[in-house]
Amino acid sequence: MTSRLMFRVLGALVAFALLARIPVGFDVGFKFDAALAVIWAFGLLSLVLLTGYVGQISLCQATFAGVGAYTAGMMVSSAHVDYLVAVIAGVVVAFALGVIVGLPALRLRGITLAIVTLGIALVFDRYIFQDHAFEWFTGGTGGWRVGQATMFGLRMDSSTHLMAAYLVLLALFCLVALLLVNLHESGAGRRFRAIRDSELAAATMGVNLTRYKLLAFGMSAAIAGMGGSFYPLVAGSVSPQPFWLFTSLQFAAIAVLMGVRYVPAAALGGAFMAFVPDVLTRYGHGTFMGHAYEISYDWFQIAVGVLLIVQLIALPDGVWGDLRSRVRHARSAAGAVGGRRVKVA
Amino acid sequence: MTMLRVRDLTVRFGGIVALDRVSLDLNRGEILGLIGPNGAGKTTLFNCISGVVRPDTGSIYFDNHSLTYAPVHERARLGVARTFQNLQLWGSMTVEENLIVPMDALGRRNTFSDALYLPFSGYAERASRARARAILHVLDLDPYARTLAGDLPAGIQRRVELARALAMRPRLVLLDEPAAGLDAQETAHLAEVLHAVRQRFHVSMLLVDHDMSLVMRVCDYVYVLDFGKMLAKGEPSAIRNDPKVIAAYLGEESKKLPGDIQTIAAAKKDERPLLEVSKVAAGYGGLEVIRDINLTVRPGEVVACIGANGAGKTTTLRAISGMIHPRAGRVMFAGKDVTGSTAERISKLGLIHIPEGRGLFPNLSVEDTLRLVSNTAGREVDISPAFKLFSRLRERRHQLVGTLSGGEQQMVALARAILSQPRLVMIDEMSQGLAPTVVRQLFEIIRVFRDEGIAVLLVEQFVESALDVADRAYVFEHGTIGLSGPAVELRSDRKLVAGSYLGSAVDAAAIASGNGNGHHADPALMEIVSVRVPAKVKRALEQRAETENRPAGAVVVELLEKVDDQ
Repeated sequence: MTSRLMFRVLGALVAFALLARIPVGFDVGFKFDAALAVIWAFGLLSLVLLTGYVGQISLCQATFAGVGAYTAGMMVSSAHVDYLVAVIAGVVVAFALGVIVGLPALRLRGITLAIVTLGIALVFDRYIFQDHAFEWFTGGTGGWRVGQATMFGLRMDSSTHLMAAYLVLLALFCLVALLLVNLHESGAGRRFRAIRDSELAAATMGVNLTRYKLLAFGMSAAIAGMGGSFYPLVAGSVSPQPFWLFTSLQFAAIAVLMGVRYVPAAALGGAFMAFVPDVLTRYGHGTFMGHAYEISYDWFQIAVGVLLIVQLIALPDGVWGDLRSRVRHARSAAGAVGGRRVKVA
Repeated sequence: MTMLRVRDLTVRFGGIVALDRVSLDLNRGEILGLIGPNGAGKTTLFNCISGVVRPDTGSIYFDNHSLTYAPVHERARLGVARTFQNLQLWGSMTVEENLIVPMDALGRRNTFSDALYLPFSGYAERASRARARAILHVLDLDPYARTLAGDLPAGIQRRVELARALAMRPRLVLLDEPAAGLDAQETAHLAEVLHAVRQRFHVSMLLVDHDMSLVMRVCDYVYVLDFGKMLAKGEPSAIRNDPKVIAAYLGEESKKLPGDIQTIAAAKKDERPLLEVSKVAAGYGGLEVIRDINLTVRPGEVVACIGANGAGKTTTLRAISGMIHPRAGRVMFAGKDVTGSTAERISKLGLIHIPEGRGLFPNLSVEDTLRLVSNTAGREVDISPAFKLFSRLRERRHQLVGTLSGGEQQMVALARAILSQPRLVMIDEMSQGLAPTVVRQLFEIIRVFRDEGIAVLLVEQFVESALDVADRAYVFEHGTIGLSGPAVELRSDRKLVAGSYLGSAVDAAAIASGNGNGHHADPALMEIVSVRVPAKVKRALEQRAETENRPAGAVVVELLEKVDDQ
C-alpha cells in the first residue's frame, strides 16, 4: 500500500521535472501556450473527476474556470492581494458555484443534465460575463487588464514571468493529479465509482447520493476554477472569450477524446487544446505545389470533430486509455505480470 | 420479536391501486416469503420497504424506527440491505471493492483524508478488506475477489449481490427475485446458501420471488398478495394447498367440458409441423433464460405455453420470431430454417408476433394502424374484414390507438395480425391487465383464428382460459419445458399444473417437519417470552391466538400458567 503511494509520488515528481523543462527554449508565444495548456489541463482534470469517476455530465466546466478567473483577477486588481490568496478565493467561489450547479444533478441525469449545464454555461457566457448589467465587474465583452501582481511577495508580470507562472501551475497540477489518483483507489473514490456504475445500488448500500454528488460537482468546479484563476496572471487580462460556451463543449469533447477516466489524459488534452490551434495559425499557411493555403482555427474545430469520431470507433476508452491498455497487453503477453485491470494512472 | 412491521400500506399509481391497506409482520430470524401472481403488488411492497416507492398512506416500522419516508441510504444505516433482480453490481469494480463500498459508506471515512492517504484511512482500508475476504469465504466466492464484477456470469453475480448486502452488516436482507434466471439445480443451491447465510450472519430475510420451489424450500412463513390485497398468509405447506392461492395463480376453475377440441387435435396429429423448435437456448447478456426447448405447432393448431413468471415463455417466443438470437438449437418455420434470421424476414414468411404490451403505435389512428399491414404484406389490403370481426373498432376507426382501452388495443393488435393473413400468430400475455369479460371476448377471437386455419401459439397467465381454447399445451419450468400434452389432459389434472407454479420439486413432508410446531415449544423458552421469542414460536402463538380469537398475550399467560402448575 505504502509502496504504491511512494510510486505515485515519485511519478508525480518525475512528471513535474520532465514537464518543467519543456518550455525553456520556447519563445513568448509558446511559453504562453505552455501555461495555457496547464490551465486547460485543469479543466479536463475536473472532468476526469466528475465524468470519469462519478459518471456525471457537465457542459459548463469553462464557466467554473471563468468564475475562478474573474474572482482572482478582481481580487488582484482591486484588493491588491497576493496572487495565492486570489487563487484561493477563485477556488472557493468556483466550489460554491459547483455545488449550486450540482443541485439539479440530484434529480437529473444523462441528456437532461447535459442540457441544464449547457444552459448554465450559456447564461454565464451571455448574461454575466458579456452583459452590460455586470460591466462594472466583468468589464463587458472587452474584459479588463489586471494590474501588477505579486506572488509569495515577488513581482509577477504576465509577459516577463511566464515561466514562473508555468512552474507554479504545473506544480499545483501535479499535486492535484496525484490527489485524484489516490482518491480513485480510496474509499471515497469507490463510493464515487459506485454512483457511476449504479446509483440505485449505491444509495441502497448506504452511500449518501446528495452529499457525494454535490461534493463531486463542488470539487470538480474547484479544480476547473483553480486553473481558471491563474488565467489573469498568465494573460495579464480577463475577458469572456476564453471561457465562453464553446470552451466548455471543447472540454467535454477533448476529455472524451483523450480518455475521460485517466488523469494523464488531462495533461495530454490540455497540451492539445493550447498548442495545436496556435501551431496551426502560425505555420498553417503558405504555398503547397503552387497553391496558397491557409489553415485557420476553424480547421482545428473540424479536426477535433473528426478525431472524436475516429476515436469513438478505434479507441473507445480514449487515446490515453486505449494506448495504455495496449501497452499493458503487449507487456503481459511478453511475460511480465499484468496486474489489475482498472487503474487510473 | 417483530422486526419489520408494515401497517395498512396503500399505494396508488394514477387511478390504479397497487397496494390496498396491506399489513405484514416479519419476526427476528425469520425468512419471510412474499408471493403472488403478476401485477399483485409484490414489487411495489418491496420497493416501499426498500425506499424506492413512497406509500400514500400507512406506515413501515423497522425496530421502532419509522422507515415510511426515510431516504434510501438511511435505511442502510438502520440495517436494511437489499439485492436487485436485475443485477446492480458495480461492474467496473472488483468483487472485493463491491463489498468494501457499503462497509465504508457506513463507517466514518472522510473524502479528504482518503485523498491524502492519511494513516487512519489506511487502517480502515485494511480492516474493510479483511472483512470482505471473510464474507466472500463464507459464500464460496474467494476465487473471484479480484475479478471485475461485470465480467462474472449471472449466477455468480447473484451471489456477489448477496455478499455485498451482507457487507453492510444488515439485520434484514430484502431479496428481490434471487432465483430469476437460475435453473433448478442452481435454485436448490441458492436455497442452501440462504440457510447458511441465516445461520452465519444472523440476519432475517424478506424474499420476493416467482419461483415457488425456492420460496417453499426456504421460507418459514409466506404472505400471498393478489390484486394489491393480502390474499393469504401461512406456513408454506398450508399455502401450497390453499384453494384461494391456487385460484389466484391459475384463474377460476372452468366448468366447461371438453368438447370437439379433442377430435380436431387428433385429426391434426399426422400433419407436418408448421413450426418446429428443437433444442433452442437463448438469453440476455450473461443470463441464459431458456435451454433445451423442444416445441412444435402444426398448421391450424392452437398451442398454449403456460408456467410461472420468469420460466422462459416470453424468451421462447422472442427466440422464435427473431427478436433475439437463439444461442443454440434450430427453429424451422414452414419448412425453412429461420434460426437467427431477422424478425422482419420471419414475419414475411407469415409468422406474426404480438409482444407483451401489444407493440402498437399510440399516435396512429386505428385505421392507419390497420392500413400499415399493406406495408408488410406488400399489397393493398382490404381492412373491412377486421371491422366485421371487431365492430367496436369500426366506431373508433379515427381514434388514436393510444387513447383506446387495453382491451380495444388488444383487438387492434389481433385485427392487424389477422389482416396480414399469417400462418402462425404468437400472442404474448394477451389478457394481461384486462378485465375478465374482455378476456373472454378475446379468447373467442382465438377460436376465430382457428376456424380460419391460422395456427396460434399463446403465452398466457390465465391458465384455465388458455387450456380451454388450446389443443395442446407446454408447461414451462425453470427455462425448460417441464410438462406437455393435450390441453384436455392438463386441464383434468389441475394439481399437476398447480405443481409447476407452486413448486413441484419440493417435498411437502420435509417442509412440514422442517418448520416444526410451535405448540410443543420448550417451556424454558416461554419464560423469557417478554424478552425474546424465536420467530417460529411467535408465529405459532399468533396463529393460535387468531384461531382462538384472543390476544396473543392471553395465550402466553395461559401457557405460562400451565408451566407453573406442573
